[in-house]
Amino acid sequence: MMFNYLFFKGCTIPASLPNVEKLALEVLPEIGINLIESDEFTCCPDPIRLQGANQYFWISTAARNITIAEEKKLNIMTLCNGCENTLAIVNHKLKNNPALKKTANEALKNIGREFKGTIKIRHFLQVLKEDIGLDHLKKMVKTPLTGLKVAGHPGCHLLMPNEILQFDNPVDPEFYDQYIEALGATPVDYLTKADCCGVSLALAGDKEASNRCVKTKLIDMQLSGAQLISTACPSCFNQFDSGQLMASRDYPQLKEKPIPVLYGVELLALAMGRSFEDIGYNLHRVKIPIKIKR
Amino acid sequence: MKVLRVKYERNEITKKNKAIEVCFKCSTCSKFCPVTLHVAKYNLEDSFIAQLFEAEKPEALNDVWMCCACEKCVITCPQDANPTEVFTNLKEKSYQEGLAPSIVYRIVEQLLQESTVYSIKFANMIRKRAGLKEVKKNEKAVKELNVLAEKAGLERKEVN
Repeated sequence: MMFNYLFFKGCTIPASLPNVEKLALEVLPEIGINLIESDEFTCCPDPIRLQGANQYFWISTAARNITIAEEKKLNIMTLCNGCENTLAIVNHKLKNNPALKKTANEALKNIGREFKGTIKIRHFLQVLKEDIGLDHLKKMVKTPLTGLKVAGHPGCHLLMPNEILQFDNPVDPEFYDQYIEALGATPVDYLTKADCCGVSLALAGDKEASNRCVKTKLIDMQLSGAQLISTACPSCFNQFDSGQLMASRDYPQLKEKPIPVLYGVELLALAMGRSFEDIGYNLHRVKIPIKIKR
Repeated sequence: MKVLRVKYERNEITKKNKAIEVCFKCSTCSKFCPVTLHVAKYNLEDSFIAQLFEAEKPEALNDVWMCCACEKCVITCPQDANPTEVFTNLKEKSYQEGLAPSIVYRIVEQLLQESTVYSIKFANMIRKRAGLKEVKKNEKAVKELNVLAEKAGLERKEVN
């Protein structure tokens, strides 16, 4: 059975992780997710800075993106925690708050659009959880990642606000570990799993604090024996990849034992028989060789 | 221990955020806040949240933009005070008054020009290396975005 979704790429994946975009379009159909592309979408906009800049603009722009999917009668799937957070919150607010919906539609009227509230917004991991099912995914895996120890990082914006996203336990998240397990790898538990990766500290100009934040998580992952990190948020990915390199200038223990990060889709591609070369591992900043028993 | 004195009557926080009136300054949120935990000048007794709630003009502090809206404070608050919402409102005020970090204005400017927060030119260089097709600017989307920005009062401010 195929699940059709309109692919909301966002800004970060097409610009900084294009190999993930390419992989998603190649690999997801193999597990039953058919992605339809559109060039009409704009930035979601992001929940940290652009929501802060102007909340009315944030809502109306997100609503505009949702109307595009409504016109095509398709649900949206995104690979990014930030996009999921913005679009799901706005979709939920407008569906449940008639006054806000009216205000948003007054803005949308100027561009000939109307928010109706007829579609769902889903992150890739939510699609796996709700549509595909991990038991089913397990059966489709071609080359299980046996013996590979992976530290999962779900990321803040997929966990909260929990009453809207209703995805996982925001204090002790479990789903990412179950996903790693379904691919045949071994999830490792670590203390700071639900914590922030620190990227917003760097964005606000405090590089030192950002380094300290990502270092805390990386040391925890080292202690847990992780060979790899995996996440499904592009900002977190960049923080663990290039952010790890930058933090290792301040913290030599990170240089001694670097841990590469794989995007959720990249990890899936490995389990679907692709090689490290196929997934674009050479484009990563932290790329120490990893051996998988096959 | 330092006692938090929220300037209820002097700042505008409580006008928009009634919920924080019930804050009893227990610092529980600060034990989970990534800003308090990792920014050197903050500590549990003088936390990010406490400093912002106490400040005479909190929107003027660049630090408000450090809040990543992870909502750890929302999960842990025993009083349901929702500090994240306060920070988003403070960011908005800071932006309107031209006090936000220059990067925020640059992002908005980039967004209104190309409808994405990254330069299409640079994105295409990276895409080429990964063997992907180029992305093109969607003029209609950019136009619609600018209409929405105008309606929302998202003016282009001078970079401070």
